[in-house]
Formats: sequence, structure tokens, C-alpha cells
Amino acid sequence: MTLKNNIASLILGIAVISILISIYLALVYTPSHETMGDVQRIFYFHVASAWISYLAFGVTFVAGLLYLKSKDLKWDTVAYGSAEVGIIFCTLAIITGSLWGKAAWGVFWRWEDIKLFITLVLWLVFIAYLALRANAKSRISKANLSAVFGIIGFICVPLSFAANRIWQQYHPTVIATSRGSLQASMAFALVVAVFAFTFLYAYLLLTRVGIEKMRETIEEIKQLIGGQNV
Amino acid sequence: MNAVKTIFLKELMVEFRSKQMINSYFILSLMIITSFRFAFSVIDFSLTQLASPILWITFFFGGMFSLSPIYKREIEQGTREGLLLAPISPSSIYLGKFLANLLVISCLELFTLLIFFVFFPVDTPDLLALLTLVAIGTIGIVALGNIISAISSNLAQSEVMLPVLLVPVLLFTVIMSSVSATSNVFAGAHLLDVMQEIKFILAFDVVFLAVGYLLIDYILED
Repeated sequence: MTLKNNIASLILGIAVISILISIYLALVYTPSHETMGDVQRIFYFHVASAWISYLAFGVTFVAGLLYLKSKDLKWDTVAYGSAEVGIIFCTLAIITGSLWGKAAWGVFWRWEDIKLFITLVLWLVFIAYLALRANAKSRISKANLSAVFGIIGFICVPLSFAANRIWQQYHPTVIATSRGSLQASMAFALVVAVFAFTFLYAYLLLTRVGIEKMRETIEEIKQLIGGQNV
Repeated sequence: MNAVKTIFLKELMVEFRSKQMINSYFILSLMIITSFRFAFSVIDFSLTQLASPILWITFFFGGMFSLSPIYKREIEQGTREGLLLAPISPSSIYLGKFLANLLVISCLELFTLLIFFVFFPVDTPDLLALLTLVAIGTIGIVALGNIISAISSNLAQSEVMLPVLLVPVLLFTVIMSSVSATSNVFAGAHLLDVMQEIKFILAFDVVFLAVGYLLIDYILED
């Protein structure tokens, strides 16, 4: 337990330090964007949250597969924790994107842009994932059904990522092979932001899984002493 | 393959005996089309532009609600255990149910299409393209609808959970591509012009069928 706590503290430490560095890089170090100005600085956190939400849903997908293969409930807890943290990062990506959109496009949201729409749907898919878990009738059934649904829901992720590349709409494409749209210092700040958010995600996931395990232990103890399930 | 055929025939027999799905589909699609007709009777609108979303939303909701009893009735009538104890793989249960529902829903959709053309008299589009799109879109609806219906039949509040789980996944994959392709067809495009979208929808069909075929085992087991 202490080793686990140490690892969690270490990850938290790296996350805090790298987030501070990333704030400095995004707000001070990088130059102002030539057309968008300072508004563009939100981009580092927007892209980082979006990528981490994809990563989190990817972890839900992989943990779902591992659960179905091994029937070990540990993987189900990981899938659940990751989906919850992913929803938070997806919400952040949508909010930061809307703020940027208000400044760059003049509106918070463009319904005609497929990337925005699919990302909203991705968010809804994992809200539905939580609703599924809330309505399951037994622990095993909850794990089985949510693993299958997490696998189906994951197909939104590649689509959400690739939408602006397939349909060519308003949402800017960051990683374009034909033209280097990012300056070196901006790319560096982006990498640091993604790195920082990855550690933040890892810490949140570890903590969430820990809480879920404790909750399950408490329920087992309650069963043992013959108390009512609350 | 024999098992798939048996389940296929069994599903059709159960359906024609109770007519649960057929009745609810008829009434529901009529209601939806009438509601849309009512909603657009008071404003000026372009029939060609609105035809495609209205048609697909009708197919979507009709298909969704008629698929809701297909696993639930096995539980309610106590035939689920028998089905699972039978010496056949769960994948063939899925495939048999998929094929039977595909047949029934496709026939119902043809009928809906007729009502639709009466209520919304658009210029006759390229029928080959329209029917191809309806056919492959329906495969997607039924393939995913089958999986989600099996999932929601094991949940509390299954009637609410079916749309909650199905709407986000189906809407942005099959329905979105079908709506944009069908809009083009209503605007005068032919089969070859919408090939890109057709490939896209077919890809989703294959993914949903594969997921259902491989994972139905885990859904049915508990």
C-alpha cells in the first residue's frame, strides 16, 4: 500500500511541476499567434485535454477487452475510472474549444462542423456508459455489459480525431503533413502540455481506482457483518 | 449455419404469431411521419432538403422501438434459458435474430417509404440509389440495434436505456452518413455519386456485425 501511495505521490508531483512549466510555456514563452493573437494560447490546453480524453477512452476500451478475456473485476474498475476521468477531460476540451470559437469564429459552437458534433456525441456515448452502469442489476452483469458498450463506444474516438481530416471543415488541423503550421516553440509547449496532462490523468485514474476498490471492500465488509447494502 | 437458420425461422414464427414488432412499427412510423408533416405544415420549407432527415429519423425510431422486445421477450416468456442451453453458439443466436429482424424491418421500411412519398411528394429520385442506401443503412440499424437491445434487456429501466445507449452511437455513424447521402440522392445524385458514403456506411455495418458476432456471448451469459 505504501509503495502504491509513493508512486501516486510521485506522479502527482510530476503532474504539478509539469503543469506549472506548461502554463509558463503557454502564456509567456511562446510568441503570440500572427493572426489569432493571444487567444490562440488556449490551444495548448484544449489539444492536451482532447488527446487525454481519447487516451482515457482508449484505456476504457483496452481494459474492457482485458476484462472480457480474463474476467478479472480489477480491469472493470480501471475501465470505469478511466471513462469517468475521460468525460472530465472531454468536457474541458469542449469548453476550451467553445471559448476559442467565440473569439475566433464569433460563435461558441458551429453545428455544421462535424468534428465538434462527433466530439459532443463521444461525450454523450460515455455519459450513456455511466447510465448503463447505474442501471445494471448485478456486479458481474455491470462489468460484462459495460465492457461491451465501452468497446462499441470507442469507435467514436478515431472518428472524432479524424473528422476534420476526412470532411475538411472549420476546425483547424494541427498535425498536417503537407504544411508545418506550428512553430518549433509552439510545438514544444504543446508537447509539454500533453505530457503534464498525461501525468494528471494517471494520478486521477489511480486515485479513482483506489476509491472504487475501497468502496467495494466496504461493501464486502458490510455483507460479512450482515448489514444492509446502502 | 443450420443453427442460424433455425433461429431465423423461430424468430419469424414468434414475430408473426405475436406481431409485436410489426404493429408497433406501423403505428410508430405513421405517427412520426404525421408529426413531421404537421410540424412543417405551418412554415415554408424546401421539401427536397428536409426529406432525407425526416425519412431517416422515421427509420431510426421505428427500427429502434421495434427492436426493443427481441431479447426482452425471451426473458419475459422464460425461453431465455432454453435458448442458452441449446447446443448452439451465442453467435448463431445473434446472426439468426439479425437476419430475421433485417427481413421484417426491411419490408416494413418499404411500406414506410410509400407512406412517406404520399405525405412528402418529392420528385422521384434515383430509386436504385435510394433503395441501396436504405438497405445498407438498415443493416447498420439492425446490427447495432440487436446488440444494444440485448444489453438493455439485462438492465433496469430497459425501455429508457435502449434509446440512451443506441442514439449516440447510431446517430453519428450510420444515420449521419445515410442522411447526407440520401439528401444528395433526393437532390438528383445517382448511385455512383454517393459511392463514398456507401463505402463508409458499409464499413460501419461490418464493424457492428463483427462486434455483435464476437461479443454477444458476454452479453447473454449473465
